[in-house]
Amino acid sequence: MFSKINYKKTFTTVTNVRPARSHLNAVTPFLPRSVCVLAATLFTLAPNAWSQELPSTALSPDAGFYGFDDNVPEVLTTTRLRQPKVRVPGSTTVIDGDMIRDLGVMSLAEIFRLVPGMVVTAVGSDQPVVTYHGTVHYEQRRMQVLVDGRTAYRTTLADMDWQSLPVALEMIERVEVARGPNSAAYGINAFLGTINFITRDPADTAGVELRTVRGSRQYMRTFASVGDASSDYDWRVAYEKRQSDGFDYAVKYNNETGQVEQNSYHNGHDMNLVNYDSRLNLNSGFNAEFRAGVVDGINEEDQLEDGELNAQENPDIDVRDLRFQTKLNFTPSSDHFYHLQVSYESFKRHQRWRILQPSSVLTCLDNGTPLVANPGTCFDPSTAPFTALVNADIEDSRLEFELQDTRIFNPDLKLVSGIGYREDTYTSETYFSGTGHDYQSRVFANLEYTPIHWLTLNAGGNWERTTTTHDDYFSPRLAANFVLNSHHALRFVYSEAVRTPDSYEQSPDYGYTLRDIAPSQFSVYDGIRADTTDLLEDPATSTLGQKLDAERIVSREISYFGQFPLDDGMFQLEVRAFDDNMRDMISGFISFDTWNIDNNVAIDQQGFEVEAQLQFPGTTLRTTYGYLDQDGWYTGPSDVSQKVQDKAVSLMRRLSARHSGSVAAIQELPYNLKFSSAMYWANNINDTLSQRIDFRLAKTFYMPRVTGQLAMTVQHYVNDEPVLRTDNNIKDPNQFYVEAGLRF
Amino acid sequence: MRRTFGILCNNRYLRIGAPAWLALILGLVMMTQGPTAAAQETPSRTVYIAGSGNAALDQHVLDLFQTAFGPDTELQTISDEQATLIDRAPIITIGPKAFSHIRQTNRDASVLAFLVQKSFIQKYTEEYPGQISAVFYDVPLLRQALAGKAILPHASRIAILASPESVGVYEPLLDQLPAFDLQARVFVVDSMDRLIPTLVRALSYGDFLLASHDESIYNPRTIKHILLTAYRRNRIVIGPSQAYVKAGSLASGYAPFQEMADVAAQLIGQFFETGRLPPPTYPQDYRISLNRQVARSLNIPLPDANEITRFINDALAQHGRDEDE
Repeated sequence: MFSKINYKKTFTTVTNVRPARSHLNAVTPFLPRSVCVLAATLFTLAPNAWSQELPSTALSPDAGFYGFDDNVPEVLTTTRLRQPKVRVPGSTTVIDGDMIRDLGVMSLAEIFRLVPGMVVTAVGSDQPVVTYHGTVHYEQRRMQVLVDGRTAYRTTLADMDWQSLPVALEMIERVEVARGPNSAAYGINAFLGTINFITRDPADTAGVELRTVRGSRQYMRTFASVGDASSDYDWRVAYEKRQSDGFDYAVKYNNETGQVEQNSYHNGHDMNLVNYDSRLNLNSGFNAEFRAGVVDGINEEDQLEDGELNAQENPDIDVRDLRFQTKLNFTPSSDHFYHLQVSYESFKRHQRWRILQPSSVLTCLDNGTPLVANPGTCFDPSTAPFTALVNADIEDSRLEFELQDTRIFNPDLKLVSGIGYREDTYTSETYFSGTGHDYQSRVFANLEYTPIHWLTLNAGGNWERTTTTHDDYFSPRLAANFVLNSHHALRFVYSEAVRTPDSYEQSPDYGYTLRDIAPSQFSVYDGIRADTTDLLEDPATSTLGQKLDAERIVSREISYFGQFPLDDGMFQLEVRAFDDNMRDMISGFISFDTWNIDNNVAIDQQGFEVEAQLQFPGTTLRTTYGYLDQDGWYTGPSDVSQKVQDKAVSLMRRLSARHSGSVAAIQELPYNLKFSSAMYWANNINDTLSQRIDFRLAKTFYMPRVTGQLAMTVQHYVNDEPVLRTDNNIKDPNQFYVEAGLRF
Repeated sequence: MRRTFGILCNNRYLRIGAPAWLALILGLVMMTQGPTAAAQETPSRTVYIAGSGNAALDQHVLDLFQTAFGPDTELQTISDEQATLIDRAPIITIGPKAFSHIRQTNRDASVLAFLVQKSFIQKYTEEYPGQISAVFYDVPLLRQALAGKAILPHASRIAILASPESVGVYEPLLDQLPAFDLQARVFVVDSMDRLIPTLVRALSYGDFLLASHDESIYNPRTIKHILLTAYRRNRIVIGPSQAYVKAGSLASGYAPFQEMADVAAQLIGQFFETGRLPPPTYPQDYRISLNRQVARSLNIPLPDANEITRFINDALAQHGRDEDE
């Protein structure tokens, strides 16, 4: 019989709810659990997703919801807590991988020309250097560099090797640069800033990608990746080859003619990198990431530039790096997740070359006569010459554990906390005369609290103990973000940070061991060691053996971040004003014949930086500008000459650009063409000016099952003068690159 | 051995004993006379409702129908087998399964399909005009695309994933978009193992991903993967429904149930006047559902839902409405 509807019927008695077909892994971050359950249940409720206005009592109480874990690209690096930019306690530049590729960036270091306040150049035999607010020259000692949360910075030598960094340009999802001290989140070394490369998730790179780029100065980069994604296992294997001849020529002073001449320059590189990235989804609340990689290649070093002890051949560096990383991600609920990360990296640098010296050197070394103090005796050219093989081999490794816990008490109160432990091991006959270890332990936390909708407070800190100084340090950060209309924020940030000296600065035992000595009449000296103490040019002022203290910075920031939706576009602006006080800065020379580093410089710096982006349909315009006013003075022992004091101060300023910036434009054109142009400049880099304009035109082919791309890039160097160093010379001001890629 | 008789009910053969069988015959006799008898009383019209099987949903829809139809119309629920006995009175089916069952049991009935997508019902409405009509549940794709444009004013390219079977559905949209300074490209997912590779290619093209009611691509098993991949690439996802917005899609248009119920009442009203059902239609008024948490995470300033709706209506008024509407 037809049943007449009872319109008074209440829903509370309804029991005929279809059972859930499957769990929905909703991704909405931090939604109230009830809403998320509703969402999940509505999916399971009906295949056509009738979702409106249904009574909540009709929902299955056990519908699955597993919350947002670590995926939506909020700013991650600054506090380790995923935060929208209006809540981040500090200026953070985020550069999308697509922008990097669209602008025709050819190497990892060049990315940072897009970051306000950063300077990119090259030292030595075309060794890229990236710095934020200077204070470095060769070794990049004061920035933390991470790849997917794993430290890529070489701690034992306090340096970054950008040539061998295992990140392919094609695999960059985005790069986050937290500008300003960030020790509160990442500990020592995050002194002036933190760079975090976030690579593409293996779940997002299923399929095959191929790309090759060829260009001037024998530039060649080939990339290939293959991977797959499924509900329980995502993986990717990627190979990259990087090759370049480096700068075209160096200069050499000809003693006979008195002229400066062009000299061949052996400063290229040839690297092969293989990376494996995977994630095993064991269940909805637990997944395990595993990454591994190997780097093998040659980094060319010029014998005149980098060969010590009268090198007779180019002291090329044989590179062999290994890395393993496991991260176990636990998501017990949408408001509580934690991870345990274990990573191991080993860096091997084998560098060997033959030297030529008069045999009087051997005699002096054997009887303990200081070489530099007795040049006539020890470097007697009338004695028979000998050759010997020396090395600057070093192998260092880092084993790191990290446990990080994130709790979302409510949308306005979030806490991230964790502990970390790191063991650094270094082995080098030349730099350490054996093997050594350093250990670090730390505890960190950051609390984000939004007491009222227009105010977000962040309080964070990092306590750390290291055996390099046998001391412990606390680095705090406090910030207040005044938020207007969810699109604008005015931030006030106070932070402190430290940098402890690295193992090499603190505990060197520097000396070359002479082997394979020829002719055979000198083979009796085989294995004799030339210590740096034998060759110091000024032993009286040497600080070798002195213990160094930590460097300290106090930073204050006022910054503004705003988004302005336009009728037909979007404008985004970030302005940062800063005032930094750095004390006990370690400056001086750290080389075989000169060792006078000390906590001897203080620096006060102020400035401001602007980052703006305007987007219209098919058009992106972006500009950055940084102004830096840096004032340094000597604070070390007064018993050294004024020249030494001035040098110590000037060394800290060699890469401090007073004005720097970039302007970039990306324009989509008909026929799937895309044009881009970028201009980069930085002045006062060691009294030189860097200016370059890039142009790129790309044509993309969208075929049914394949996307292909052809592109050409031109880099135009505006000035003829080499940047930073007289050896950084490029003959043709126009450098050309062509590339072809496929994805299917 | 005891003989049993049965009827096909919701695809299940129900065994009925002899006493029940007799009762059933009696009941059917009463029922066949029921509508006639009912027509002599108030309410004067009877509309039969075939439910979806989801009691909460059916009850909710029936409540809305009652409001929309008013007191002059009697709403009666029927089972599949009861539908075989209905001659001229209209049947409203809730959801595609109910429609399919009714079509199987009574091919002569006049049926108004409710809560069905255009792609599902189109072949029936075209083949049996006047007898079969529908109130479309899905939102016109052009409206969804314009919602994306309202949120991302600088967007100019839209990526669409389609299965080989559904690729033709997007042809009208591709033709309409240039008038709104938009263009779209359809990326065909040949098989499920090609979903992510195709999605990655699509995201490299589009400023946002326009999700549709193509269940072979967007379903509870795939949606998390699609959303996360899109968001990691800093691309938003628009559509296909309110439920997906709650799951993580940034925005979607939707027609309120009451609006759809009102349209259904209008169509049935015309049926009672003419004896024929009017052509199927989309509701006229839509709302926008937004996921503000996702917008905050992606640093996207989100306009008010009413502003987005106004933008869409203005754009459609200026450049011509979706031909489907």
